Amino acid sequence: MAALPPLTRQLGCLRPFMRSHEFIQQTCRRTITTKYTPKPAPVDLPKNLPPIFYSQLPDRLRPDFKPKPFKIYPPPPSNAKKCKDPLTATTEAQLAVLDPTGERKALFDYRRSRRSVKPGDIIRVTFKNGDPFAGVVLNIRLRGVDTACLLRNQFTRVGVEMWVKVFSPNVEGVEIVQRTEKRKRRARLYYMRNPKHDVGSVENIVKNYMRQKASIGGVKGTANKKARS
Amino acid sequence: MPPRLPGKPTGLVLPFAAHQLTTTNVPLRMFGIKSITSPQPNRFNSGPDLPLLKSTPAAALERKLNSLPLRTGAIAIKKGMTAIFDPETGERTPATVLQLDRVQVISHKTLEKHGYYAVQVGSGWKHPSNVTKALLGHFSANAVSPKRHIYEFRVRDEKGLLPIGQIINADWFQEGQYVDSRSNSKGKGFQGGMKRWGFAGQDRSHGVSLTHRSLGNTAPGQGGGSRVYPGKKMPGNMGNEQNTVQNLRVLKTDPENGIIIISGAVSGPKGCVVRIQDAIKKAWPQIQKAAIESSTESSADPTA
Repeated sequence: MAALPPLTRQLGCLRPFMRSHEFIQQTCRRTITTKYTPKPAPVDLPKNLPPIFYSQLPDRLRPDFKPKPFKIYPPPPSNAKKCKDPLTATTEAQLAVLDPTGERKALFDYRRSRRSVKPGDIIRVTFKNGDPFAGVVLNIRLRGVDTACLLRNQFTRVGVEMWVKVFSPNVEGVEIVQRTEKRKRRARLYYMRNPKHDVGSVENIVKNYMRQKASIGGVKGTANKKARS
Repeated sequence: MPPRLPGKPTGLVLPFAAHQLTTTNVPLRMFGIKSITSPQPNRFNSGPDLPLLKSTPAAALERKLNSLPLRTGAIAIKKGMTAIFDPETGERTPATVLQLDRVQVISHKTLEKHGYYAVQVGSGWKHPSNVTKALLGHFSANAVSPKRHIYEFRVRDEKGLLPIGQIINADWFQEGQYVDSRSNSKGKGFQGGMKRWGFAGQDRSHGVSLTHRSLGNTAPGQGGGSRVYPGKKMPGNMGNEQNTVQNLRVLKTDPENGIIIISGAVSGPKGCVVRIQDAIKKAWPQIQKAAIESSTESSADPTA
């Protein structure tokens, strides 16, 4: 109840008559509970609002608002659709330069061609810059232009292995010195690294092969020799 | 009589509901009312010899002036890795094959409007029914087809803003130039501290039981307070976060098929989105002036 100034305090005698009035109860009595006030209903915009005030309204409330129509544009022609497999395309483009006849590819594609090098064969690889390397093929890794084979040999009783990138321009020629007697039952012959299974040095076999080849005058070699001139 | 509460406004309380009159009898909004006092500048923050602020957008732009590329990049898809042999020298370079698909400029970010210069680029195509209305409106306003991937490439100034609708093909990059690539690395899922952060783990034996790969202690001792510092390296989601690889050489470009071959490896699985842009740590490619000029000319023709 409000503290009344002294002059109006005498009017307090009228209070019992006013108590029944709803308004007095609303304004003068404090309660602990909060009164629920519903969300105010949206107020209508004034009719005939001058256009000068449109800028103060959000877009969607302006009387002249219309959503902009979408136009969906067609996509430009696609290069990627022309070439679905870019990896194969780049591989083939390189092989056309590095191996135009496709001989080298056939020589190592052991899953498709029968004459190819197989795991367990002894091959001799000659390089453009460096000594030739001969060894047993332990592993043929078919990866398109990145195809490689792992050769194993022994120099001075120390095992030596070398990965040869088959399509490298440094590889001048690959000759099969000796085919494996029996087809190997594994694709990766890593067990040959164990002393029990190690073929050892292939130096003698290669030497014999070279002597034989020289005596025939290279005639025999042509069947197996895949040299790029 | 109820207790009197102090602090209420004095005066005769009359049974006239004055406040009700004022609130309910104003049904319409008030229009045309604006503040008549203009904002006052701070009197301490003006003068001839104030130091230049370093945390402003303008200062940030000036700092980045030398490390922002002059021209936009492109959105590519990683297709896989191979090797490129040089037939003359026989040198083998491991390479990543990327492909561009309908890469197009969608819109610009400008200093005046956004605070920096950038080119918004999209690639691929997305069916309009799968695109939100907001984006459809954006594409529609810029007269570009709906795009699958959208990224921004920051450029130094307005000279690098390619015209909207311009198609960026593989010949945008010059063979021999260097680029930076940004892509998300392969996701590894939830990983422990050993794999994620290289922690040493704990002993195999010596009494350790069941906690051989666990994190160990996470908080410092007495001096550090008994709490875990924010940012402590812990197990969690690993991978699938953006990684930048800098200074990758462009080995080959094939504009007809949209193929770009760059040296080395790029983060992410095959089919991931790779953003490539001129390398910021190498000299800008010489092509840029000619390319920018020719592109602006060629684009000017269809619009005119």
